[in-house]
Amino acid sequence: MQRTVPSLPLAPSVKVRLLHAGFHLATDLTDMCPLQLCKAAAISHEEAVEVLQMLRCDTQPHQEKAATEGITALDLLHKEEAQGSIVTFSSRLDDVLGGGVPVGKTTEICGAPGIGKTQLCMQLAVDVQIPVCFGGLGGKALYIDTEGSFVVQRVADMAEAAVKHCSLLAEDTEQKQALEELTVEKVLSSFFLVRCHDYVELLAEVYLLPDFLAEHPEVRLVIIDSIAFPFRHDFENLSQRTRLLNGLAQQLIRIATQHSVAVVLSNHMTTRLLNGQSKLVPSLGESWGHTATQRLILHWEGSKRLASLYKSPSQMEATIQYQITVQGFRDAQDEPMPTVESSAVSSQTGNSSKRPRREDQS
Amino acid sequence: MDWEHLDLNPRIIAAVTKANCRSAKDILCVSGPDLQRLTHLSKSDVQRLHCAVAAAVRKSPAVTALQLIKGECPALEAGYKLSLVCPVLDRLMRGGLPLRGITELAGESAAGKTQFGLQLCLSVQYPRENGGLSSGAVYICTEDSFPIKRLRQLITQQPRLRPDLPSSLINSIRFSDNIYIEHTADLESLQACVSQRVPVLLKRGLVRLVVVDSVAALFRSEFQADEAIKRSRHLLTFSSALHRLSHCYGAPVLCVNQVTDVVEGPNPGRCDYGLVESKVLPALGIAWANQVMVRLMLRRLEGCVESDERSSAVRKLEVVFAPHLPRADCLCGVWEEGVRGIPDDA
Repeated sequence: MQRTVPSLPLAPSVKVRLLHAGFHLATDLTDMCPLQLCKAAAISHEEAVEVLQMLRCDTQPHQEKAATEGITALDLLHKEEAQGSIVTFSSRLDDVLGGGVPVGKTTEICGAPGIGKTQLCMQLAVDVQIPVCFGGLGGKALYIDTEGSFVVQRVADMAEAAVKHCSLLAEDTEQKQALEELTVEKVLSSFFLVRCHDYVELLAEVYLLPDFLAEHPEVRLVIIDSIAFPFRHDFENLSQRTRLLNGLAQQLIRIATQHSVAVVLSNHMTTRLLNGQSKLVPSLGESWGHTATQRLILHWEGSKRLASLYKSPSQMEATIQYQITVQGFRDAQDEPMPTVESSAVSSQTGNSSKRPRREDQS
Repeated sequence: MDWEHLDLNPRIIAAVTKANCRSAKDILCVSGPDLQRLTHLSKSDVQRLHCAVAAAVRKSPAVTALQLIKGECPALEAGYKLSLVCPVLDRLMRGGLPLRGITELAGESAAGKTQFGLQLCLSVQYPRENGGLSSGAVYICTEDSFPIKRLRQLITQQPRLRPDLPSSLINSIRFSDNIYIEHTADLESLQACVSQRVPVLLKRGLVRLVVVDSVAALFRSEFQADEAIKRSRHLLTFSSALHRLSHCYGAPVLCVNQVTDVVEGPNPGRCDYGLVESKVLPALGIAWANQVMVRLMLRRLEGCVESDERSSAVRKLEVVFAPHLPRADCLCGVWEEGVRGIPDDA
């Protein structure tokens, strides 16, 4: 199929000039040299060069890729499996999510204040660094804090617990070797933090994300805690807010797929009146609900903390119980005899389903 | 924004000026295709423009947690807290009040909330090695008049509260000169106070603690039941102002809050924070709770505690939520010299 000039990613003024000069198809342009083109279409030399460069590096691969390198569903499945996921340290939540928080996708965590959104975010940022031989990803994390609720001591607590947990699991020499490098200091030094004070700074940070990820290719997880905070005040015009949020969502989805990182967003809950009954729903409105691939809602039931998978294209809706301990985000221990060993073993079995898969790929 | 300083082709800068974009916000809040239409630039130029403006807006590049914990970025992590003076309470709070963020103290009337506020107003004036911030405090009263008599008493009792400090140090601080008291009787004057007068005090370094006693009073009285949306909008404006001040100046903010009774029966719209046996919950609902970083609750219990042959009603200070604290509580009492925690073994 022929590509038309109006469909090319060019400045509108250039397109108009090209059309006026009689260039309607992309192929009309490919044989031109810059000087010819700038005379024929009455555009500047600079613009002519840009048009031709764009044509060479942009359209041809596009068309050819579509024709020859079509991706099959099997390829996609392999790719998705190769990307892996980030364990949560709660084996039940991992099961519900299908192995953990998926890389290359966006996950939204909603919940009332104090339920543990920030705790789960911090936990994931520590977990993403677990070495590959322990069933982790051995990646780094970027934490974008918009609320100012990031407390570094808490991350140090969790890092210490995670390192200790790995040291209990170490068996073969490979794991022991990896363990030597896995220290609390190492974990903290692979944890990047950015503080955004308002939504303009958050937008700026997201524009700079591709550059940051190119600079730090080991980053496998980007967290925004929380997306709601900067967008819930200073907005008189709600349609502008929706537009900005949608743009932001598009950028984040693109980043997640192109750089194969997991994007985790936390969100507030708000009260909504429905038929005279008030109900807690995630904030930022109805259209935002379409954004994330997966949506996890944390909520209270009595004194229990529950996590419900609310939206997911691949997993069943389910609810599990969890707890927040000194070590971090963990399974709730409703068994009569909770011991350190039993939790270690259960996480190990949770991971084991993933480990063989990684091994036969490599 | 001065476009000339950006690392961009003059052609792009000319197009931006021509399109009448004045601030970084104008550029960042417009999507790529919209900006292309607005400035008649090509896609790659717009991308370059977005990145250059974003880089100019960013205040500081990403730092690692290791740098934070080593104290290399004091602007983000101070590494110290504002002490509550008593070791038992400080242990519960992991050192005291965090410098950045809003700390809420909710409780029934006569639970002792104001006592905490007053004690912090004095504690903030000590030098850093003694748990303070060597600066004053601003106390915003919205309910009662400021309890000046009680403050006097607390000041004269300081040597008793802090027997570990030399009396020359205690005598050298002119406590009452460093507490700025604001009375605000309506919402408008509260907003004016937070947006105009308090920033001036913080900027001059005269204060580094903001106490609001209480947030609930005005927000509960000035709105009808059906004005929930209007109320939450005002609450958000107020809390974002406090938030900005706290983060900008590294000044802790303590907001005293009232409580509301729990209406029996299932209510899916209620968030009880896992406090099942509690008959009361902090007031102002979830809109306010989302803005709070550390939520504490103070309850008055039955019975008395004795200390030095004086007795006080027992209170329980409970951490409802905080990003860095487990849910825990401790008992405390209010005496002449101030609030003190009761060690577990006592």
